[in-house]
Amino acid sequence: MILLHILTPLENLLRDVLKWLGPHGTIGLSWAWSIVALTVIVRLILVPLTVRQIHSMQNLQRHAPQMKELQKKYKTDKKRQQEELMKFYKENNINPASSCLPLLAQFPVFISLYLVLKHFPHLPGDNLEWLGLWNITDKASAGWGPVLVAVYAASQLASSYFMSATAEKSQRILLLVLPIAFIPFIINFKVGLVLYWMTTNLWTVGQGLVTRRLMPRPAAPEKRSSRTPPKEVAPAVAPEPATEPAKPSQPRKVKRKKGGARR
Amino acid sequence: MRLALRAPAYLGLGLVHAWRWSFGLLSHGSCKYHPTCSQYALDALRQYGLVRGSLLAGWRLLRCNPWSRGGVDYAHDQRLFR
Repeated sequence: MILLHILTPLENLLRDVLKWLGPHGTIGLSWAWSIVALTVIVRLILVPLTVRQIHSMQNLQRHAPQMKELQKKYKTDKKRQQEELMKFYKENNINPASSCLPLLAQFPVFISLYLVLKHFPHLPGDNLEWLGLWNITDKASAGWGPVLVAVYAASQLASSYFMSATAEKSQRILLLVLPIAFIPFIINFKVGLVLYWMTTNLWTVGQGLVTRRLMPRPAAPEKRSSRTPPKEVAPAVAPEPATEPAKPSQPRKVKRKKGGARR
Repeated sequence: MRLALRAPAYLGLGLVHAWRWSFGLLSHGSCKYHPTCSQYALDALRQYGLVRGSLLAGWRLLRCNPWSRGGVDYAHDQRLFR
């Protein structure tokens, strides 16, 4: 209960934004489309975060062969393996892609939106339908709801596919099974909430597609030759010569800076 | 008496486990820190109780952002409470 009170400001904020987007607000979208718009706004705010994440993901992929070797070396000792990996990250200036905060940050938004939909700020006679098939305040199990849930599950599958590019195989399988395991819960949510989740997943998929297009480009400066196609060179040959000369040069720079600051 | 003092921490432990078995599964078990944030939260709650443990776990979560470096970071190595 206390936790729900903590979320009240966020709930109010979401409700205000929805009202602003909604049929009686400045923008004047229908309620269903304002939920879609709200989702897009939330994801737009998260874009700098995502860009950062994509950069570190590319960095990770560049160092993948060395990391696989480390993983093989400490195959039996999982704890040691993890600690060695962390050391490797630090030595090579890698910022691991996944961090807990972005995922956790979406959780309060999700719960707040659930609460907003529970007492939806619509007036009698408002149009609550989306594409003429779904009423956003209905349960997803009613009418055409299950179709939307199926689309949601597909979007979740697709987004996990992009999000788990660096994950292990067993984790990937788990990620692909989860959306199906979640269906019994999700079918009891309001259509509006499913709409939010579906939109956010589709956004992730779109981002994944755009990143795939852009993926080979940042690998090029590592080699410093614009003529060679980075895709072929990067995985096998590039990392070792690229990282080794970088090591001695970095500490030197740091030392100079420190000395200068003290004086 | 000791158990009564510890009881509130179990509330926190329960919440962390609930997270782990719901949305936590989606995070494909890779945190930039070792141990992971949820494991850190469990350790912190067990060692420092609900209030201090929650503060430590919250601070760890804030540190676990895309701009931080990550690394090995155990709950018992904390320097907030001595």
